[in-house]
Amino acid sequence: MSLAAVMPPEVGQRPDPGQRPVISFHGVSKTYANGTEAIRDVDLAIYQGDFCFVVGASGSGKTTLVRLLIREEAASSGRIFIDGHETTRMSRRRLPKLRRKFGIVFQDYKLLPKLTVAQNVAFALQVTRPGQRHMKEKVEETLWIVGLEDKLTKFPDELSGGEQQRVAIARALVHRPRIFLADEPTGNLDPDTSWGIVQLLLQINHRGTTVLMATHNREIVDLCRRRVIAIDSGRVVRDEAEGGYLREGEATI
Amino acid sequence: MRGLLASVRFALVAAGQNFTRNLAVSMAGVFTMGLIMLLVGGTILLTHTVDAILNQQEAQADEIHIYLQDSLSMRTIADYEQRFAHDARVNGVSFTTKDQAVILAQQRGLQLQSAINTLGSNPLPASIDLHVRNLNDLTQLNSVAKSLPIVDTSSGSATDYSPHVIPVLKTVITWTVWVGTILSIVLGVISLVIIMNTIRTAVYIRRTEIEIMKLVGAGDWFVRWPFILEGVFGGVLAAAFGATIVALAYRFVLDQANTQAFLGVSFDGPFLTALVVLLVVFGAALGGFGSFLGIRRFLHV
Repeated sequence: MSLAAVMPPEVGQRPDPGQRPVISFHGVSKTYANGTEAIRDVDLAIYQGDFCFVVGASGSGKTTLVRLLIREEAASSGRIFIDGHETTRMSRRRLPKLRRKFGIVFQDYKLLPKLTVAQNVAFALQVTRPGQRHMKEKVEETLWIVGLEDKLTKFPDELSGGEQQRVAIARALVHRPRIFLADEPTGNLDPDTSWGIVQLLLQINHRGTTVLMATHNREIVDLCRRRVIAIDSGRVVRDEAEGGYLREGEATI
Repeated sequence: MRGLLASVRFALVAAGQNFTRNLAVSMAGVFTMGLIMLLVGGTILLTHTVDAILNQQEAQADEIHIYLQDSLSMRTIADYEQRFAHDARVNGVSFTTKDQAVILAQQRGLQLQSAINTLGSNPLPASIDLHVRNLNDLTQLNSVAKSLPIVDTSSGSATDYSPHVIPVLKTVITWTVWVGTILSIVLGVISLVIIMNTIRTAVYIRRTEIEIMKLVGAGDWFVRWPFILEGVFGGVLAAAFGATIVALAYRFVLDQANTQAFLGVSFDGPFLTALVVLLVVFGAALGGFGSFLGIRRFLHV
């Protein structure tokens, strides 16, 4: 079975100028109840098939950006559109449908320790599409994509960190989302394993899924030369089509 | 349909897992709630039984039984019956023979056969039974009746009526209803808090699962149902526990009351059944509502 058989059709990496962005932010700000301004006046447009790194120091606002996307947090001002639908004014009742457009992975995997690898992946389908036919086949296909087809019956604590993150990716991928969000997915992994995870995300993106990865892994960002959105104190300070972790000529100690 | 069945199955399995994974806390909650159900059920049943006694007493309250000497002729008895029948204060007169008195006593739970066998005769007196028009005339009529020469003075009490019992019973009923209502409300609120905390523990244990469910796009009700079912299950279990003890205690106390105090209150099966159903429904509703409140705060993921 080839990857092309189970993934959505390929979409060109470069957006058509007339294409509607799959994610857009218009003057979005987020101030928490304690007065912290996490995001300030952000404008963004991300197109279908983009692969974006969101970079910045800890506390710069990367995670808030991810939380705003899935409406885990509500914007204090501005408008956010996902797939043409404004999410800032969306009712709670419609949030599940919005969230099904996303596949999300975190630094800490968030796997259920009492479920096997296959059960962890199937869990996402059970709760969003209960009673779906061919669930077992879909789970196996997805685990094959992430290279864990031989670990179906293992439990999370029997796997390495990299393998656990692959299970989390499979769980995020099993319902074929349009947008893949990864919040520091390599934060707990060694460089080699991290690179393996990023290659997997690139492979997913190559088949047309929009990928947004928040990271402060400089090496990976520099190696990939993809779109980089840099955030500092809640503001987008750089948005480069093929950028590195730092601005050209910028240096750190 | 297939999706609905799968959702129901998921909710039932998850509710069962919640209950068993959290068994000690769940059982402690069920036991405490069961005791509360026992108190609520016991109070309702007590009120009902006291009410039954009161009704019985009220039905008998307008009656004066004039116990007669054994030696009286039927003609003398008939004369007195006539006299009372013409009294404006009297609504009705009837005559109870010695044999009828035995049957009535047996209906009230008195076992007289061995006494009759030992004595060789029926010890109960015959009586003229008066029904008064106005309860206020009871005392006056009673003193008239007591002074009549036909009255059997050997048993110590010439006539038999107990109007003073009624206000006492009425006070008992009023207090039972008030105390029972207040107690039930307070205990209901305590039950809610217990259920809420049990469910919060279950939610805490499953917090990662809930977080993932919300993130992958499960609806609010899909997340809520397992916890609500767990609450309903716990509530029903607690109600079943409380209702079983109430039912057993009711039968035992009633048997004792009838043999020791000759209250003559009969076992009210239909009321007990209705009470058990009410407790189970109340337990289920309380459990479900408590869970709903318990999980509400955690759904804002």
